[in-house]
Amino acid sequence: MTTGYHPLVKRLLDGELSLAELPPELQGEGEEALRLVGAADRAPVALSPALEERVMAVVRRHAASSGNRAWRWLNTPRDIELRLRVRPWTVWAGALAAAAALALLLGRPAPAPEPGPGAQARSGARDSVFVRFVLYAPGARRVAVAGTFNQWDRSAAPLLPAGTSGVWTTTLALPVGQHQYAFVLDGARWVVDPAAPAVDDGFGRRNSVVAVTTRGGQL
Amino acid sequence: MVGVRLGLEGEATDAEVVRAVLAGDVERYAVLVRRYRDRYARYASRMLGSRDVAEDAVQDALVRAFDRLADCREPDKFAGWLFLILRNRCYAERRRRQRQERSLDSTDEMFAAPDRPDGAYEQVERAHALQQALQHLTPEQREVFVLKHMEGLAYEEIAGVTGATVASLKMRMHRAYDRLRELMKEHL
Repeated sequence: MTTGYHPLVKRLLDGELSLAELPPELQGEGEEALRLVGAADRAPVALSPALEERVMAVVRRHAASSGNRAWRWLNTPRDIELRLRVRPWTVWAGALAAAAALALLLGRPAPAPEPGPGAQARSGARDSVFVRFVLYAPGARRVAVAGTFNQWDRSAAPLLPAGTSGVWTTTLALPVGQHQYAFVLDGARWVVDPAAPAVDDGFGRRNSVVAVTTRGGQL
Repeated sequence: MVGVRLGLEGEATDAEVVRAVLAGDVERYAVLVRRYRDRYARYASRMLGSRDVAEDAVQDALVRAFDRLADCREPDKFAGWLFLILRNRCYAERRRRQRQERSLDSTDEMFAAPDRPDGAYEQVERAHALQQALQHLTPEQREVFVLKHMEGLAYEEIAGVTGATVASLKMRMHRAYDRLRELMKEHL
């Protein structure tokens, strides 16, 4: 039965040691190990030239049925949970997650009087609803909200500080439907809304969720 | 492997293309297809042990990325996001094949011996044996070997794309070395 490689030989394979740095009794084992990893095929792999056209044919079909796609998205079962979590960086940020709230000024159709950036939505978009985002982030220099409603643009929807309280707010007119979002602190740090349900985005991160209806918003 | 801007397609960055597609210019998605179709082909091929299966995986990943493009939180990191989709697809395909108990011993023509000068036959045999041996590792062990020794990534870079810690990656790799030595003993 073959035994495993000596730890020093493994460090050789990891690139942390050179063959010359191995003791003489491990030289042979090291050479054998290098033959093993040297057999790794690093040649490029070319796929069929037709792949691009196949992908684009499907993409065009899906784009043409975007309505169906939205319906499928809304009907796809997802894990949704509501919880507050304290992470180490929240302490570092000055109890960032201590008191955040998403206050929804919902149930208010677009024509309702409302100052702020949602004003443009009043005149034309009857299916838009004003949603107010609030985050307590005393250590932040800039806060924005990015989500599916603004193509995750980190600069499209900045929040304004409410005095020196550490509370940041903004009001957006969102179309009816379900939206995923997250707050962006200082242009780089993504933070889920501690006061809203969150879903796994399928790639190891979490997004907050708000469902907007003509009768109001639901977390 | 992640976040590289290529000097093709009129210098448009991934983020610019993603935003154009989301704004309705569906045809621009072909730029991303051309940019990444072969870039991740080797990873998928080595993970799945077959170029044909890898091609299906890459195609599915590209379509799935389009369908979920609105969820791409950081368009400038589209490459890494697409890689995660492809990685999930490769893992799912492996699980599916294991359920079907399909033999993974045979690899397809992708790994057939290329023309080499006389005397290199042994190396070709060893490369073929290694590719077969890789299919007997756990998916996690195989992935770290592929990313480090075939894609040329450092442990820190692998940690960045997989979410695993460097320590756990090294542990997987070291177990992979031992297992490969055992599987390859007649070729070393």
